[in-house]
Amino acid sequence: MSEELNYSKADIMVVTMARLLKDAENAFMGVASNLPFFAIWLAKELYNPNLVWLNIPGRVNPSPSYAPKSTVHAQLSHKGTASVTLAEIFDMSARGELDVAFLSGIQIDFQGYFNLSHISDGTRIMVQFPGGAGSALICANSRRVILWRTRHDKRTFNEKCQVVTASGNVYKVVTSDVVFKKDGPTLQLESIHPHTTFEEVVENTGFPISPAPFTPEPTNEELGLLREFDPENVREIEFLG
Amino acid sequence: MGKVNTLEQAGALVNDRDRLAMGGLLLQRIPGAFTRELARQGKRGLKVMKTAANYDFDLLCLAGCVDEIAAGFVSFEAEFGFAPNFRRSVQEGRVKFDENSCYTVIAALRAAAYGVPFMPIANLGESYLASKFKTVNNPYGNGDGDVLTVPAIYPDWAVLHVQKSDEDGNAIIYGPVFEDLIMARAAKKIILTTEKIVPLTEIQEDIDLAAIPGFKVEAVVEIPNGAFPGACQPNYDYSPESVEEYLTIKDNGALAEYLEKNNP
Repeated sequence: MSEELNYSKADIMVVTMARLLKDAENAFMGVASNLPFFAIWLAKELYNPNLVWLNIPGRVNPSPSYAPKSTVHAQLSHKGTASVTLAEIFDMSARGELDVAFLSGIQIDFQGYFNLSHISDGTRIMVQFPGGAGSALICANSRRVILWRTRHDKRTFNEKCQVVTASGNVYKVVTSDVVFKKDGPTLQLESIHPHTTFEEVVENTGFPISPAPFTPEPTNEELGLLREFDPENVREIEFLG
Repeated sequence: MGKVNTLEQAGALVNDRDRLAMGGLLLQRIPGAFTRELARQGKRGLKVMKTAANYDFDLLCLAGCVDEIAAGFVSFEAEFGFAPNFRRSVQEGRVKFDENSCYTVIAALRAAAYGVPFMPIANLGESYLASKFKTVNNPYGNGDGDVLTVPAIYPDWAVLHVQKSDEDGNAIIYGPVFEDLIMARAAKKIILTTEKIVPLTEIQEDIDLAAIPGFKVEAVVEIPNGAFPGACQPNYDYSPESVEEYLTIKDNGALAEYLEKNNP
């Protein structure tokens, strides 16, 4: 696209994920989950005020007065409405009561299986990743899992993850460049963000995909709310470093 | 010796090869000062566990104190990136990372807290983590399949940092408790660091919040700012500058200097 866009990759990821929460009963976000933080916040502001926001500090429906860089920060427990600890959120998940959960993978394969654990040469660990946190349980037991990933390249989106940290009820995958939907056993391209092209996405994806329309762009209303809430652009943090 | 100790005395209670459940989560209400004391005392062979960690476990890796980590996640968040010393120690084979789901760390502690040998848990889907655990036949089922289980882990110590304790270790946590209360019940004994030691009467005023029972506490150390460089809400936030400073440490000399400067 030659035309200058008035929003960032973080913006389109946030609003795309927020719109996926229009009919959600509840949504859980974990550690290191900046974009889901903004998506849930925006969804509650604009689309689904009754959405139940669950997080690791364990305060339901917080009202953060600003956007923190850490997603286990005290702002995530600011003015919450009730106390539900992380252990109890896992119990909810085990009971099938988690509707939407946001998870991420360092490697994500064409089936939506993902790796947050490590890369090994068969005998020893060559690259240690952070670990999957709660994702094995949550991916297998939540109703709809939204994966997000701020990097879209062949190292991330590959034919098959060597190590599977978690798998299960993947619903959508929102990347810096596209949205995939899980359709049957595999990920299918659903839309392409307007800053890129199908040819570029093919180039950067390690499994076969078919053409898809552009992702609807963020509205001025969505962008206005985000910019007012987050004047310091914390929502860009996952794209830095 | 009473329960109110110096940091050095409390640190000396921990033996090489002990298993520690360490309270807080990521940079929230962690026992930061006590972690540095373990490093200063040159502990070896420790086994540490919690759901999600960064500074404390990374520092114990850097100082060579730890042999084994059981956790679901060991990393800083986007602001600071991966936990470099944890990564290096695991990749070089000096530390065994027993990767868990955060849920299975909790299950292991719950089993210990409940005094039972294992916890049945919900399924973990197709995950390499599931292969670490054994299944049992559901004795009450109608042939509807096996149940995954997690064996109990009894930490020698729960090491917790709290806002307020009396001198016997009857203590109050304000704000998110994370897994601290489960750890307190699962562990054999508790070591507490506290922002402030207060009279029992002050604990009694808020008795419904006094979830840490003094009868399990071996040592109480008063350390204002004891979660540093982590946060202890509502008293103080984490210090990004200090985390950055920690992350610049590259060798034993710099580590010794850091531990000297940040004591407690």
